[in-house]
Amino acid sequence: MQPFGESVNGVMRLFSFLPYLSKISICGLGIALMFLLGCSKGRDTQILVVGMELSYPPFEMTDENNQPTGISVEMAQALANRLGKTLRIENIPFAGLIPALKTGKIDLIISSMSRTEERAQSISFSNSYVHTGLCILVSKNGDSHSIKDIDQPGAKVAVKQGTTGHIYANANLKNAEILLFDKESAASLEVAQGKVDAFIYDQISIYLNWKKHSDTTRALLNPFNSESWSIGIRKGNDGLTTQVNQFLADYQASGGFDQLGDKYLSEQKREFKKLGFPFFF
Amino acid sequence: MSRWVSFGCAILLLSLFLHASFSALEYQWNWESALRYKKKFADGWIATLWISALSLFFAFLIGSLVTLCNRVRFLPVRYLSMIYVELTRGTPLLVQIFFFFYVVADAAGIQNRYVVGIAIMAIFSGAYISEILRAGIEGVGESQLLSAKAIGFTEYQTFRYVILPQALRSSLPALAGQTANLIKDSSLLSVIAISEFTLNAQEVNAITYSSFESFFPLAFGYLILTLPIMRLSRSIENRLRFET
Repeated sequence: MQPFGESVNGVMRLFSFLPYLSKISICGLGIALMFLLGCSKGRDTQILVVGMELSYPPFEMTDENNQPTGISVEMAQALANRLGKTLRIENIPFAGLIPALKTGKIDLIISSMSRTEERAQSISFSNSYVHTGLCILVSKNGDSHSIKDIDQPGAKVAVKQGTTGHIYANANLKNAEILLFDKESAASLEVAQGKVDAFIYDQISIYLNWKKHSDTTRALLNPFNSESWSIGIRKGNDGLTTQVNQFLADYQASGGFDQLGDKYLSEQKREFKKLGFPFFF
Repeated sequence: MSRWVSFGCAILLLSLFLHASFSALEYQWNWESALRYKKKFADGWIATLWISALSLFFAFLIGSLVTLCNRVRFLPVRYLSMIYVELTRGTPLLVQIFFFFYVVADAAGIQNRYVVGIAIMAIFSGAYISEILRAGIEGVGESQLLSAKAIGFTEYQTFRYVILPQALRSSLPALAGQTANLIKDSSLLSVIAISEFTLNAQEVNAITYSSFESFFPLAFGYLILTLPIMRLSRSIENRLRFET
């Protein structure tokens, strides 16, 4: 990391040069800068840029060759084919997806994002394509069986930053202490080590994390709320919204989702049937 | 007077640049929703202040101790401090945070994440500080040590009146830089859910979907912490100035 002292020195040195610069050259520099920034705008319209966080298997992940893969990636590819554009995937942390969409860095969010009222205030959403709900990972020795058991004074609840688990906890957990994590793996490790009492996340992630720490954790896989995933689109981009909704309807009708479910989620489908819990895909 | 004009010019140039950048972005500012969470910013800022102050204290303690260990004649101690410095400086802080919190602290049974966070920052910065101090001490010329010996200084007197004043002065800028780094690096502690300044700003960011409205106060808050350190180091440097 750069020692801060040096950069301050640099700035000071810059000041001492300034009297020698004429006003004209300063103005010229400013204009040149603005021109440069003006030119850097505008992007190839033949490319569909889709933002997602590639750390959410089996929906958004990377393969051995570091290429994006998963259900959302195949969906994005099918959508790009339909629109006649080339697909480019941008890997962006979940909490940064909406700002990226708002500032025009990406065209769409396909990142297993649930539609919420708060989010809908800053971006538009397509029709939903998956219905799911929040579940809870608790430590094996604890005696929690529902979200109510968890919201006790002195209890600690882990959530991933910016997810619906985070939003739910902020709005509904009155007594428990909420701890924010950037990484899903850190949050589930906290439960496994007994550092926190529970981790709130969606059904499939809780299932996968429970599998990873099956000797130290317990999963409450019956969703305690319901939410649905949608594709995020910049506000005012109504043409694209219509196209995306049409694509989703056709993809559903032609069995595209079922194929993806069989390809990526067959094990989970079987397991959930055995456990008797509703499964969404 | 001309200094202030130059300073004004520089600020003007900077604002012009920022203005141009942001007008190119067409960003919709929404300060209201971010300002509603000002208590979150304040709490986080105070947490960062405490974490930085405490870890700075322990970092200097560790740094000085390791510098002494480097001069001990018993070799295993010397190698131990060498390995500590190289390992700490050569590995990412993020890895160290995960390792200490989920492996070492878990085995030691320390549950308080703030205690672990302060310890990690102190250990991380201690390695850099010890290297800065070592460089300062070794920068004192051999001839001065010989002169001190010639006029009959004891080892303690040589250290106190010859080495220390010069070593301190020459390492001050680097120490101030390291202190600022520690304050900024403490933001990485957010990965173990320590509710410090950066994490709180990110949370506001996540709740309100504003980005720059929470990043600018963040940058400003860190500047309030780091700029005085730079000024302080400058003034101590001037006070320690002497004729050579």
